Amino acid sequence: MAKKITIYTTNTCAYCGMVKKYLGNKGHEFEEINIDQQPHRQQEALEISGALTVPVTVVTREDDSQSVIVGWNLSQLAPALG
Amino acid sequence: MSEQKVNDLVIIGAGPAALSAAIYTTREDIQTLLYEKAVPGGLISTTDWVDNYPGFPDGIAGLELAENMRKQAERFGAVIEMGEVTDVKKEANGNIKLDTTDGEVFAKTVLIATGSGYRKIGVPGEEEYYARGVHYCATCDGAFYRDKKLVVVGGGNSAVQEAIFLTRFASHIDMLVRSDFRASDILVDRLEKEFKDKITVHKQTTTDQIIGEKIDNIDRVTKVVGTDKASGKQVEFQTDGVFVFVGLDPNTGFLKETAVELDEIDFVKSDDSLETSISGVFVAGDCRSGATMQIATAVGEGATAALRIREYLEG
Repeated sequence: MAKKITIYTTNTCAYCGMVKKYLGNKGHEFEEINIDQQPHRQQEALEISGALTVPVTVVTREDDSQSVIVGWNLSQLAPALG
Repeated sequence: MSEQKVNDLVIIGAGPAALSAAIYTTREDIQTLLYEKAVPGGLISTTDWVDNYPGFPDGIAGLELAENMRKQAERFGAVIEMGEVTDVKKEANGNIKLDTTDGEVFAKTVLIATGSGYRKIGVPGEEEYYARGVHYCATCDGAFYRDKKLVVVGGGNSAVQEAIFLTRFASHIDMLVRSDFRASDILVDRLEKEFKDKITVHKQTTTDQIIGEKIDNIDRVTKVVGTDKASGKQVEFQTDGVFVFVGLDPNTGFLKETAVELDEIDFVKSDDSLETSISGVFVAGDCRSGATMQIATAVGEGATAALRIREYLEG
C-alpha cells in the first residue's frame, strides 16, 4: 500500500487531471504540487523524473521504496499503488 | 457457462467524434461503451484554446470543451472505460470481438474514433531528447520553460496557437516553418502583430537535427540545426527546448493486422455511410480517410456515424 503519493502538475495539463481523478476514484489521498503556482519546485520534479513534463507521480510505499511515474500511464500507476 | 455480454455499441476512443456519437446513440437508448487509452477529449484536451468551434463566441479552453463533451455524453448514460483496444474481429455469429487490455469485449457494432496524434519530424535527436527538451504538448510541458528560449517547429494552426501559448513562459521563440504558414490568416495576423517581439518566424527553414548535452547530469537540448532553403546554408538556433507541431498521424496502428482496410497513409477507409470494410464497424473523425482534421467535422461525423449505427442495429 502507498504511504504517500505526490503529484507534480500544472494548471493546463489534461493528463494531470486524469491521474488525480484516477487516484480520487480509487480512494487515495495525494499531495499536489502545482508548478504553475510553485515554480520554484519545478527543479524538484525534473530531478525526480529526469523529464521536463508533468504529471509526475511519486508513490512512496510503507517500506519507503518509491515508484516514479511520468505522464498518464495506467499500466505503471496501477501496480505502483499496490 | 455464463452468457457473453454483447454491447450494442463499443466506441474506440473518446475524442470529439466519439463523444458526439455517444451523445446521439445514448439518447436513442443504444447502450454505448467507450474505450479510451489516454484522455477523454483526445487532442483537444491538450490544446490551449479553441477559437473555431461554433457556439463559443469568445473561444473556449480545449480542456473545458473536452470536459463539457464528456459530461454531456455521460449524462445520457455513456460509459467510458480506460483501456486500450488491440484487435477487432468479426465473429461467425455476426458480433464483433474486441481484444482489450481488460480482456475480450463483444459488440453488435463498433465505431473507430481513435483520432490522431502529433506527427514526429523524424530527425536525429528527436527521440533521444523526448520529454527532455523535445515536446509535443505545450499545455503539459510549457511551464518548464519560464524565461527560457524555445524553438517551435511547424506552420499550421496548432503550431501558431501553441507558440502563442508558450509566450506565457518563454523569453523568446524561434519558429521554424518548412515552407510558408498553413495556419489561418487570423492566427498568423495575431502572431505577427501581437507577438512579433517574442516570436521570430523563420520561413523556408527546415529542422534537421536536435542537439543536446548533459547539464547538471541531466540530458538537455541546447540547439537546433536547420537549413535556410533560400540560401541553402545551415542555420543554428540556441535553445532550451523544442516543441513540434508538424501535422497529425492517425492512431490506427492497432488495426494494421486486422481486416479493417486502411489507405496508403494508414487512415481508415469507409463508404458513404462511414462503414469500414468490416460490416458493423464504422469510423468517424480524424482517423478516417479523407478527414479534414477539425473538431467541428469530427463532431459532425460522429453524429452521422451514430445515425448509421442506429439504422444498422434496426436492420
